[in-house]
Amino acid sequence: MTQLGFYFNQTRCIGCHTCAVACKDWHDHQEATINWMQINTIEKGVFPHLFLAFIAVPCYHCEDPSCMAVCPADAISKRAADGIVIVDPDKCLGREGCEKTPCLTACRSSSPQFGLAPNAKMQKCDFCLDRLEEGKQPICVEACPMFALEIDSMENLQQKYGKQQAAEGFRYSKKIRPAALFTPKPEVFS
Amino acid sequence: MGQTDKDVKIVNTGCCHDCGGRCVLKAHVKNGQVIRIESDTGEDPQIRACMRGRAYRQRLYSPDRLQTPLKRIGEKGEGKFKPISWEEALTEIAAKMHQVKATHGNASILMVASGGNQGMLHGALPVGAMLQGFGGFTRSWGIASYEGAMYASMATYGTIRTGNSREDLLNSKLVIMWGWNPAVTIWDPGTSLMMSRIREKGIRIVAIDPRYSDSAATFADQWIPIRPGTDSAMLIAMAYVILDEELQDQAFIDLHTVGIDKYKDYLFGKEDGVHKTPQWAETITGVSADVIATLAREYAGSSPAALIAGWSPARASFGEQYSRAANVLTAITGNVGVNGGYASGFMRAYSSRETNYKRVIAGKDSKKARSTGNPVEDGAPPRQYSLHKLFGGTNPNSARIHNAKVFDAILRGKEGGYPADIKMAYIVASNCLNQHPNTRRGAEALKSLDFMVVHEQFMTPTAKFADIVLPVNTFMERNDIAPPWLGSPYYIYLNKAVDSLHESKSDLDICRELSKKLDIPPGMFQFDEDDILQGITASRDDIPDYEAMKRDGVVKIKLKEPIVSFKEQIEDPENNAFPTLSGKIEIYCEHLAEMNDPKVPPIPKYMPHEESHDGPLSKTYPLQLITSHDKKRAHSTWHNVPWCQDIEPHSVWLNSLDATKRGIIDQGSVDVFNDRGRLRIPAKVTERIMPGVVDIRQGAWYDPDEEGVDHGGCANVLTRDEPSPGGAHPMNSALVQIEPTPDGAGRKK
Repeated sequence: MTQLGFYFNQTRCIGCHTCAVACKDWHDHQEATINWMQINTIEKGVFPHLFLAFIAVPCYHCEDPSCMAVCPADAISKRAADGIVIVDPDKCLGREGCEKTPCLTACRSSSPQFGLAPNAKMQKCDFCLDRLEEGKQPICVEACPMFALEIDSMENLQQKYGKQQAAEGFRYSKKIRPAALFTPKPEVFS
Repeated sequence: MGQTDKDVKIVNTGCCHDCGGRCVLKAHVKNGQVIRIESDTGEDPQIRACMRGRAYRQRLYSPDRLQTPLKRIGEKGEGKFKPISWEEALTEIAAKMHQVKATHGNASILMVASGGNQGMLHGALPVGAMLQGFGGFTRSWGIASYEGAMYASMATYGTIRTGNSREDLLNSKLVIMWGWNPAVTIWDPGTSLMMSRIREKGIRIVAIDPRYSDSAATFADQWIPIRPGTDSAMLIAMAYVILDEELQDQAFIDLHTVGIDKYKDYLFGKEDGVHKTPQWAETITGVSADVIATLAREYAGSSPAALIAGWSPARASFGEQYSRAANVLTAITGNVGVNGGYASGFMRAYSSRETNYKRVIAGKDSKKARSTGNPVEDGAPPRQYSLHKLFGGTNPNSARIHNAKVFDAILRGKEGGYPADIKMAYIVASNCLNQHPNTRRGAEALKSLDFMVVHEQFMTPTAKFADIVLPVNTFMERNDIAPPWLGSPYYIYLNKAVDSLHESKSDLDICRELSKKLDIPPGMFQFDEDDILQGITASRDDIPDYEAMKRDGVVKIKLKEPIVSFKEQIEDPENNAFPTLSGKIEIYCEHLAEMNDPKVPPIPKYMPHEESHDGPLSKTYPLQLITSHDKKRAHSTWHNVPWCQDIEPHSVWLNSLDATKRGIIDQGSVDVFNDRGRLRIPAKVTERIMPGVVDIRQGAWYDPDEEGVDHGGCANVLTRDEPSPGGAHPMNSALVQIEPTPDGAGRKK
């Protein structure tokens, strides 16, 4: 099975949020609670010796997704062809219908999200399946002014960028095996 | 639904507000609605839009868009209006204009036009043409963004075309980003990407900024925090080290500059007894003498090196001096006109804005102002401190009022020494109440006008003071052409994507209809949008095919080699003079010397001012305010777009030391105040700003309560309205105090 993965060059990210807003526009997410792509900021140090990094957090489409394991309705699945983790809204019990919404706590990246509508169904980043099917990169990749993002098979990404699976603001888990690869920003203080 | 949906039409347009960009947008239009936006997916270099352009649908389709002409029914500033018809609105405006003209003359009509729209056609152009046809008007001068840098560029080089192509930075051995934050302010699309490539190539990058900016954090190897308003002292001390240790490029100085001896007199104490040593600068700047001397040696020793002097440190009292000092430093190290060097100055590279970009020699005697075709100002002599003998830069006409003084001029008129008594304001593409300094005085001024018209897309703080507000469409609803922001070789054709929303109209169509009621000759208004745009492009030899540009949406001009300004002057000085009075780079500027005024010294100097960090006022107001740009907005545009607003709350940045002293906690509500006003916003307690300095990003909308406390966080409530002689706006020269909000956090109803 091919596993599509997400590559992020952390040394390039300027924290501009273009990927996140492009995602909202492409998928027409008008609700503030829906952020398929999140940008986290990591600040360390004391003036004037500082370290700052950003990290782009989509769904990392884990090889053994914790959200999938805990879903009481089997609404979350992993596509055989490409490893993309998807949610079936017909099966999802909904924010109120699902007693504990365990997907919310299972995922360390806060990728599963619910909108504001009554009994909204869980939704998450799907690597822009519609665009992938047309042979395009996801909108976040195409939008990034810094050319810091890429989606490809993990094999191809590893060939191009090495095998670094940790970055500032992200810890790799052997248990769930996120399909993510990084050029991390070295922790050097100003 | 993918974009291959047959019902989706892709319209090539581009983003066109006053950020540092100008980017390609592709509007996906279905059933007359923009349903998605993509950006450049074409050939390199791609002109990729930022988050603001990507968020444009929420601006275009905002429920707050103005829908009809509005007539004020409440108090000025209160925001109470009633919808009226276009016929009623234009009839009333025309009647008032005729009345004001007959009673007070054309000079009493003030046009305020800012950068809210950056297309070549819409925005200020048709309004100016209409008012000119009506017999003239008073206009303003002094661009908040760059006036100080422009003045210094003209004084040193005689031109604003001093920049190099971005890719030429790859030839540098050292890049210094001085008060320059392209990660947020863009500085032409692709600049941040280029800075990353420079870093990846192993070229050393140094950032000088009171804040650990996104650019400093992402690109720089070294960050040097510096007290605002003291940059010129550090640059002067660097020149001292370089000349004292004989690290300068003497052959370059001898051949291409004038006045090094006069500068040395200042540096080495002959002029005022003070040696401008790094130790001298340390006490002023807060930067250690060692760091200053080391950077000076490194800059002089890393040939070629690029010192990029951003505009923001020049957005200060005597800001021209910083920019002059930077320009001179590039010259004494021989970094002008060479690959990998950088002249600083205004930094325009590719000059697509000027139709004639051939070099023009400065006029030796031009006591008369240039004709502008505006009857109110034609024949007026050059204003004091203007560089009127030079060609280019700011128009020196003395009938114009500096933007920072527009409010004072409205209030005090001729008695206050201004060229006119202003009775009426015609405001287009401008949220001037918010974006000019000293907002509360601005509110007082706008209240005092007899009549005020505003072209707007939203009910801005400025529009609330209008008698009539006219709803204007956005670039998505009209055709226009966008030149690049500063110096990249391309144009974007802004194809109309959808019909005008509600009853909105373009600036051009509004003026076309209003001009009929003003009984003026049709002039440009007899032509349609397309005719005028074709006319604009016909005068340029870099747009060979208008129809192709319209079809493709973008013309990317291929240059044979990267632009390096002044290459010909350096390689062949016999045949290529600098367009200054001396024909050389002016370390000592004769034009300034003739003014014989200590406020405009002929050599760059460090000059403290009323709100310097160590001035008497600092006892009452010990914190220096800077008003930086926000990634969420372009000035005040996009302020009301949720996708942008949600990114982070508007707040005042202050260092943890300053916060602890005052009992301020992160995200706690604080009052920021001085004698000009008070605003109440959350604090962001951060290590990313130096102690003693606070930052409020400019552009948030003014929202005063009954007691005059601004809850919107408009930085200009606190800024000074006294510009420098050269025109630099003093936005980064205000002293303030901060305290936890006295009444808890609640807002008075």
